[in-house]
Amino acid sequence: MSAHQDNHPLEDWQASVTAARLEKCPQSVIEMIPYASFIGAQAKIENDQLLYWLDKRPSNIGNPSLPALHGGVIGGFLELAAAVEIIYNLDITAVPKVVDFSLDYLRAGRYKTVYAKCNVLRQGKKLVNVTAIAWQDDENTPIATARCHFLI
Amino acid sequence: MAFDMTMALFRPALKYAMEKNGHGKTLGLKMTEINRGEINLVFPYNEEVVGNPLTGVVHGGVIVSLLDTACGSAAMTVLNTPAVAPTMDLRLDYMHPAEPHKPIYVEAKVYRQTSNVIFCRGLAWQEDKENPIAHCVANFMKVDSKSINFSAIAVTQLRRLMPWGQRSSSEQESGK
Repeated sequence: MSAHQDNHPLEDWQASVTAARLEKCPQSVIEMIPYASFIGAQAKIENDQLLYWLDKRPSNIGNPSLPALHGGVIGGFLELAAAVEIIYNLDITAVPKVVDFSLDYLRAGRYKTVYAKCNVLRQGKKLVNVTAIAWQDDENTPIATARCHFLI
Repeated sequence: MAFDMTMALFRPALKYAMEKNGHGKTLGLKMTEINRGEINLVFPYNEEVVGNPLTGVVHGGVIVSLLDTACGSAAMTVLNTPAVAPTMDLRLDYMHPAEPHKPIYVEAKVYRQTSNVIFCRGLAWQEDKENPIAHCVANFMKVDSKSINFSAIAVTQLRRLMPWGQRSSSEQESGK
């Protein structure tokens, strides 16, 4: 396949993803998605698994009187993490399309860093099922869990 | 319909809390209708929240935030004393991607409430409400404590507007 850098955004995208995998740098995948920097999401590899985190910032607050993180930001962060998990780990060419997303809030998200991990439970020809879990102090006391389906 | 004094007082406070603080302000959402058990809001397109850089489609996380805000606000309006109703869960179905450069409209309705739980439905669409981009159901808990102090938020904002009332930022954020 020849690379026509200027007129083929999909090929550029694929080349960038391939480079990120070779360098073992999921952060450069997450940086390709504008929404990630909008909320401040980051990614790295820890113990052969992708770890995502979201440092605290005022623009992610939902309830200013507590203050607590916005529930929608926690949801958006987990959906983003699930998508990056697929882009980075699975051998696919396009950007996965989310079909549905289900989120359980277990504890209030306090105004501090949130961490997340994902798990691809099934990869079919068309559909992928991913779960995501978010925590703050301790991985064993999660603040939210999510599962989503993506078309690939 | 009788004049609803609680809503008359609550409406500007809720609008202020959702539009001028934290993530709602960052997204730039606008609440267009606030009634008992029903919220409408609009989100203008913003390139910063794109999820697919190849197409310019906004990230699904934005739709999560919009629907969570709308459903959570709708849940608050059915309480006798407006207070935070924590989200238990939220389930979203994406029917088709949002088109870039067009506003997204969101409507949320409380369709049932019991002594402990408030059940909401939400819809997000662009040009045609009959052809929505996403649909959601979300459930909220009724709790007594930790009510949002809307009047304190309003007073803080008024102080900022008054030339003689400039307070230090630490004092403005002194709420527990």
